[in-house]
Amino acid sequence: MTSQEFKSNLLIKRPRYANSRIPIIEILANKGSRTSEYSQFGPIYELYIYAFMLGLKNNLRLPLPPRDLTTDFLELGKWKRDSALVDFLMMIIFTRSEEIGFDWNEMEDMQEADLNIVISKVITFIEEYANGGLEHLHDLLDKGQLENSHYMFIDLYKN
Amino acid sequence: MASIINSISFKNFFNYYGDYFETRYDFEEGVNIIVADNGAGKSKFFNAFLWLFYDQILDSDDKIKKGIKDIAVKIISDKAKNETPIGGSIETGIQIEYSNGRFKYQITKSFTATRISESITSFDSWQITINDIEVNRTDHVLPRYTPVYDADEKLNIIKQLIRPDLRQYSFFQGEEVDSIIDFGKKSSIEEAVRTLTDISNYEELVSLTKYFKDKAEIDLNKQTKSNTDHNDRLEKAIKLKKDEGDKLDIEIIKLGEFEKLYDAAEQEKNELEQNFSNAEKRNELDNKIKEKNRKTTDAGNEYNDFLESINNRFFDGNFSWISLGFDNVIDDFQGKIQKFREIHYEKKALLNINNDPNKHFHFLPVNSPDSVSLKSMLDDQHCYVCNRPALEGSEEYDFIVRLKNRPVEIKNETEYVKNNLDSFFSDLQINAQPFYNKISNITDSILQTREKETALSDRLTKLKKELKSLKDQRKDILISGSNGEDSLTIINRYKGAIRRISESSIQIERLKENIKKYKNNIHNTEKEIQSLRPSNIPEGYLLNYDICSDLADSTEKAKDRVFDNMVSLLEQYANEHFQSLIKYNDLAGGILKFEKSPSGSILFNYMDSKGNVVHGSSEGFQRMKKFSVVMAVISANTAKYNYPLLADAPISAFGEGFTEGFFEATGNVFPQSIVLVKDLYKGNDKMKINDLGKKLLKDPLVKTMYVNQVTEGVEQVDLITTKIKLK
Repeated sequence: MTSQEFKSNLLIKRPRYANSRIPIIEILANKGSRTSEYSQFGPIYELYIYAFMLGLKNNLRLPLPPRDLTTDFLELGKWKRDSALVDFLMMIIFTRSEEIGFDWNEMEDMQEADLNIVISKVITFIEEYANGGLEHLHDLLDKGQLENSHYMFIDLYKN
Repeated sequence: MASIINSISFKNFFNYYGDYFETRYDFEEGVNIIVADNGAGKSKFFNAFLWLFYDQILDSDDKIKKGIKDIAVKIISDKAKNETPIGGSIETGIQIEYSNGRFKYQITKSFTATRISESITSFDSWQITINDIEVNRTDHVLPRYTPVYDADEKLNIIKQLIRPDLRQYSFFQGEEVDSIIDFGKKSSIEEAVRTLTDISNYEELVSLTKYFKDKAEIDLNKQTKSNTDHNDRLEKAIKLKKDEGDKLDIEIIKLGEFEKLYDAAEQEKNELEQNFSNAEKRNELDNKIKEKNRKTTDAGNEYNDFLESINNRFFDGNFSWISLGFDNVIDDFQGKIQKFREIHYEKKALLNINNDPNKHFHFLPVNSPDSVSLKSMLDDQHCYVCNRPALEGSEEYDFIVRLKNRPVEIKNETEYVKNNLDSFFSDLQINAQPFYNKISNITDSILQTREKETALSDRLTKLKKELKSLKDQRKDILISGSNGEDSLTIINRYKGAIRRISESSIQIERLKENIKKYKNNIHNTEKEIQSLRPSNIPEGYLLNYDICSDLADSTEKAKDRVFDNMVSLLEQYANEHFQSLIKYNDLAGGILKFEKSPSGSILFNYMDSKGNVVHGSSEGFQRMKKFSVVMAVISANTAKYNYPLLADAPISAFGEGFTEGFFEATGNVFPQSIVLVKDLYKGNDKMKINDLGKKLLKDPLVKTMYVNQVTEGVEQVDLITTKIKLK
């Protein structure tokens, strides 16, 4: 598998979120139309990335329920197309290879099936931290601790 | 003795929430000022006096004065309404205390409202009962109020506060000053003169003496007839005089009609001038409002877009907020990729050695030297790198051939790993630069974002304020001008009025000539009659006629003189007041001149020092001109003026020069003045007044000063006006 093929296989994956996160997603991402009383992100992937990074920052890794109780969305490669953003995310993710459970150099000698397992682990890694981040946001919302300001997300992110 | 208002208090009257004792304003002889920003109860305060004098309230929504009962629900404080349960009642009223010489009076006008359903603002939810006017009286010796029961006496006590025929000079609101003295109307200055002089007595005298004169003439003629033997010539002369007299009467009637036409045209012209200039001003303001509206909308959109876009800064490579706190990623990735490459290239090198130990030179970059140079070397059989011959067939020649074929060989090179991920990792490092390069600037970037938001928000607030101020100005113009006509109609009517003025002027001139001619004829005929009269008429008849004739002439002249004298007295006072009103202005004020128009009405002109009529001076000057006349009317009053001035926003927006002059001048003319003014308000000042307000506060002419305030940022149902007494 070439670099190009590996990247393509990774970027066609659609990360998933737990169905229980749908309400918080609807409140905090407007998908271009819906508005709520809180500051919002645009597309779901923005909120998802934010939640993932928030999860990483606060070490909030939370497994997803079985597949039937989850929903997928846009494939990775279509998140903010033609942007450096996904590359930056990958950079962060691949520095955490020990935690995910693979080695860069070993990957170069793997069979395709094993390599696909690595890709799958990477996706799980993204999903579980995003899930942790979303739960954290949900929690704050339930406790009434989400400050209704246009700086809500960045204020939360700085701490 | 002058009427002096001692206090006014309100009960649940508009935003003056609470009982009378909670909202009481005390006043003294001299100047009393109530400073209030827009919406802080100025007009409502003034409305209390409208209620007192006329049982009316000015509806601020449509600027129409309405009867108390028709507007009662609007008058009651919303807070009070809200606190009244269904079935419960509240009282709303005003209470005024004033002294007049020996007595002091307390007048209360009120009504009771009973709530009958849920909606507090609906007129159907309230049942209104107007309460009897309560009037109490006390003398200063025994300060205990006793009620006045007689209805007529109650009304008289209210009338005494400001006499009804003088209220127009003593009680007015904003632009009303413009209509008090309407210089287009013949009646306005004449009415003033009539109010101030006993000219009507003179007029009675004039008609009485004319009657005597006519009677004396008839008697004389009777005597003439009885004493002559049918003197045809005399009869003829008397008949001629009578005919001429009849013609004169007809001409006088005609003159009166043309004078009316002239006055009507003159008045229309003046009204249209006002409308025309208002129309222009409205238009100008409309354009300004439109432009400001556009700017405000743009700024509003920009601000909203900015707020909406704040979260985009997480993912926009120019801001990269998402990387905040991920400083370690650069070093971590660097460490990993280095380690990866070491092992990766080790594998490659080992493979190369195994395949072809001579390929070590591969470390020389591909395409170096370039293929064209390599071809020249082969053609020339010479190495230009080491400048040695490389003959075909030699080892050196073969080496150059291998170098030249290298790019092709690399393509066919065996993969040394199953999955070459080198460029995957390298690309990540290169592509992700915008995000990790900005990490150290993100804190600044967030700060700058907040600063920019504040700047946009400040700009929007400023624009909104400016827009509101323009709209307020527009509203003010709306009150004084007619709003319905388009400018073309106004121009046509204006031209028509000018044409009628000129036509009726010509007719007036012609009729005046005729009248003069007839009067002359009559005079000459009279002389002829005297010559024709027989000498045996008893002397008493002749003498009686002479005396009555002289008397009629001189009373007519006296009447005119009294009128003219009063006009020139008014002119003199008006100029004095005008000079004092404008003395704090940089502009040199001209001279006010009262002149008789062709129809005999008084025209009011404003001349510069060279005697030219000045048109189109600023509205401030126009208003001051009119004030000068109002004050002149008061000063020219032979007795001391005994009534207070009550004025709401009389000088609104004309600048500090006028404001200062106004207070000084009114202080000298009126025994007491109560003036509601916004121009001295300064919200961000500790005392809530501006520098001029502070200067006036120290002025001994100013006896009391209040600042009104409304609770900010609350719902209408919680809105109340409170006051601070500064002096």
